[in-house]
Amino acid sequence: MNDKLLEVEGLETQFNTPDGVVHAVNGVSLELHEGETLCLVGESGCGKSVTVLSILKLIQSPPGKIAAGKAFFKGADLLAMGNEEIRQIRGGQISMIFQDPMTSLNPIMTIGKQLEEPMLLHLGISKNEAQERSVKLLESVGIPQAADRLKDYPHQYSGGMRQRVMIAMALSCNPQILIADEPTTALDVTIQAQIVDLVVRLREELGMAIIWITHDLGIAASIANRIAVMYGGFIIEKAPVSELYAHPTHPYTIGLLNSLPQIQARGRKRLYSIEGMPPVLYQMPHSCPFAPRCKWVVEHCWHENPPLDPIGDGHEVACWVDTVTGKER
Amino acid sequence: MNNSNEVLVKIEDLKMYFPIYRGVIRRQVGSVRAVDDVSLEVYKGETLGLVGESGCGKTTLGRTVLQLYKPTSGHVYYEDVDLTKLKPEAQRQMRKYMQMIFQDPYASLNPRMSVRDIIGDPMVAFGAASGKQIDDRVRELLQLVRLDPEYANRYPHEFSGGQRQRIGVARALAMNPSFIVCDEPISALDVSIQAQVVNLLEDLQRDLGLTYLFIAHDLSMVRHISDRVAVMYLGVVVELSDRNEIYYNSLHPYTKALLSAIPVPDPAYYETHQRIILEGDVPSPANPPSGCRFRTRCPIAIDECALERPELREVIPGHFVACIRVNPEEVQHKEVIDQESL
Ligand SMILES: Nc1ncnc2c1ncn2[C@@H]1O[C@H](COP(=O)(O)OP(=O)(O)OP(=O)(O)O)[C@@H](O)[C@H]1O
Ligand SMILES: Nc1ncnc2c1ncn2[C@@H]1O[C@H](COP(=O)(O)OP(=O)(O)OP(=O)(O)O)[C@@H](O)[C@H]1O
Ligand code: SF4
Ligand SMILES: [Mg+2]
Ligand SMILES: [Mg+2]
Repeated sequence: MNDKLLEVEGLETQFNTPDGVVHAVNGVSLELHEGETLCLVGESGCGKSVTVLSILKLIQSPPGKIAAGKAFFKGADLLAMGNEEIRQIRGGQISMIFQDPMTSLNPIMTIGKQLEEPMLLHLGISKNEAQERSVKLLESVGIPQAADRLKDYPHQYSGGMRQRVMIAMALSCNPQILIADEPTTALDVTIQAQIVDLVVRLREELGMAIIWITHDLGIAASIANRIAVMYGGFIIEKAPVSELYAHPTHPYTIGLLNSLPQIQARGRKRLYSIEGMPPVLYQMPHSCPFAPRCKWVVEHCWHENPPLDPIGDGHEVACWVDTVTGKER
Repeated sequence: MNNSNEVLVKIEDLKMYFPIYRGVIRRQVGSVRAVDDVSLEVYKGETLGLVGESGCGKTTLGRTVLQLYKPTSGHVYYEDVDLTKLKPEAQRQMRKYMQMIFQDPYASLNPRMSVRDIIGDPMVAFGAASGKQIDDRVRELLQLVRLDPEYANRYPHEFSGGQRQRIGVARALAMNPSFIVCDEPISALDVSIQAQVVNLLEDLQRDLGLTYLFIAHDLSMVRHISDRVAVMYLGVVVELSDRNEIYYNSLHPYTKALLSAIPVPDPAYYETHQRIILEGDVPSPANPPSGCRFRTRCPIAIDECALERPELREVIPGHFVACIRVNPEEVQHKEVIDQESL
């Protein structure tokens, strides 16, 4: 896990709205190594989807605009690519599972046809070969009687099955990177467990790298090698998975983890709660975006936004205060 | 927290079937058995958690208990009054005592009504107060749910999800109810906001002596807030027990699978635990499997499971389970003590 497959630097994405400019992503940098699973976590509206959509140049413009940044994939900057060039990569070497399975499957096209299309485009194989491969793919994601079910339409599949079809589709062209945007959020826990189990198995078989978006810190713990926590359009903490859960360091991450009930704990404690609300994004903040909700806040926090700095063990954090000692860094 | 064995609400053999119609003349061709013979008791002052997968009948059960649906058969008693036998107006009057908080904080508030009118609505409907009295009560309720009383003249779109859910709670509390059905009150909210709402519900229960039926599919949150937990699968209750018992000594294979599927925010957990992965999806409630409804996905099903519907048996005092593979003779009682109980 040493070679950097993807390296995003200083990504900034904004939206022009009648109420003003929404600063959705404000200088996000991240890297993805070969075979690695990176989880992007954070609350609704913090910029997770916009980050990955920007990397694939899928931001609609207007109203959206990628204002700055680079995204190197095997040496080439995706953000500098023309439409035709990026289309060759999208759905091929980098594939994506979108947040809502119902809107990303075409309701009037059979599952089989939808599976074959990207393969015909990216793999240059024949219709027959694509059909055979579709059956194998559906089988590998656990759809029974796969050959028959290719003729079905999306509404004939359950929510969990549709999500598995989305995974099959995303894997059909042997991607090196799979980007999955909350692929299990709408599903029941038992189906969620099925899907996570499936992706972990396929990841090992295919050796692909994954960016997995979730707001569920439990799912992130079960699947990630590394985690990046986002807040108000910034990455505020980044660390290897065991390091993050053992030593959460940013006040927001600490608060999030503490506000979850502990399933293993025997007793019943009052839940910790982060008071206040997530920030509105109409202005680029000149303070720490978390300052209004932060228990550790010091004067400095109100005057300058802390950069994401390394603190050892592959751990990076954007905070002026050392939350272990309570002193300013 | 539960500190009585006095029954406040008693649900007896309750069924709620929704008819399925087909064709131009809308002939009934079957029915969705959303709630199919459920009996439960809710004790005064407790929180009874209700969990299960999407579509298993949790909301329908909650609504039928409040008589928002007319049950197909069975009874619901509030104290000693059989709600199913009451005339519509008498039923409406009972709603003073029994209220509901809804799942979707965005859809459940009328966007054209001010916060004052939303919260004051039940008082107007029951003719309980008017004018200035309502204003005062609304301010009091807003303070109770920790919102600024000055918000009374604002409209729902000006509030975040967590704030709207508080408004919903304030409306439910307007008539001083004793019993509240909380239908997934936090699932639409962000993690950092969920804890705020749960803490509020717990404080209100303590201060006002409320009784909750708390519906959710987040099992870790249900365990946190409940005194006892009932697990539903396809319209029936398959297990019912004390909050600790159900987590440390679950007996039904469905409960075990549900518990093992909970994502735990601790990477070390996944190195030491093997998950039970259930195959397939929940069958349709219009055509449920014969015998035990879980048998089509059950890892320990045997042929006999298809024959008869297993009854909910008390195998340990206070611990009920509906599975023929559970042998009461072999079941052991594991003493679990709340170490940090409030
Ligand atoms: N097309 C758009 N027009 C205007 N604002 C937008 C648009 N798309 C996204 N945004 C804004 O950008 C911010 C980041 O949104 P994004 O979808 O990335 O959030 P997210 O972290 O994926 O949240 P969720 O967990 O709800 O999916 C939000 O404030 C959102 O309102
Ligand atoms: N008004 C209705 N008419 C017909 N069928 C209904 C109606 N309400 C619910 N159902 C059906 O009854 C079953 C139980 O639904 P219910 O909403 O009670 O489930 P639930 O456990 O609350 O699910 P969720 O977790 O998704 O909220 C489902 O199959 C549903 O489609
Ligand atoms: S920089 Fe200051 S306000 Fe921001 S998280 Fe750290 S302590 Fe809190
Ligand atoms: Mg998103
Ligand atoms: Mg429901």
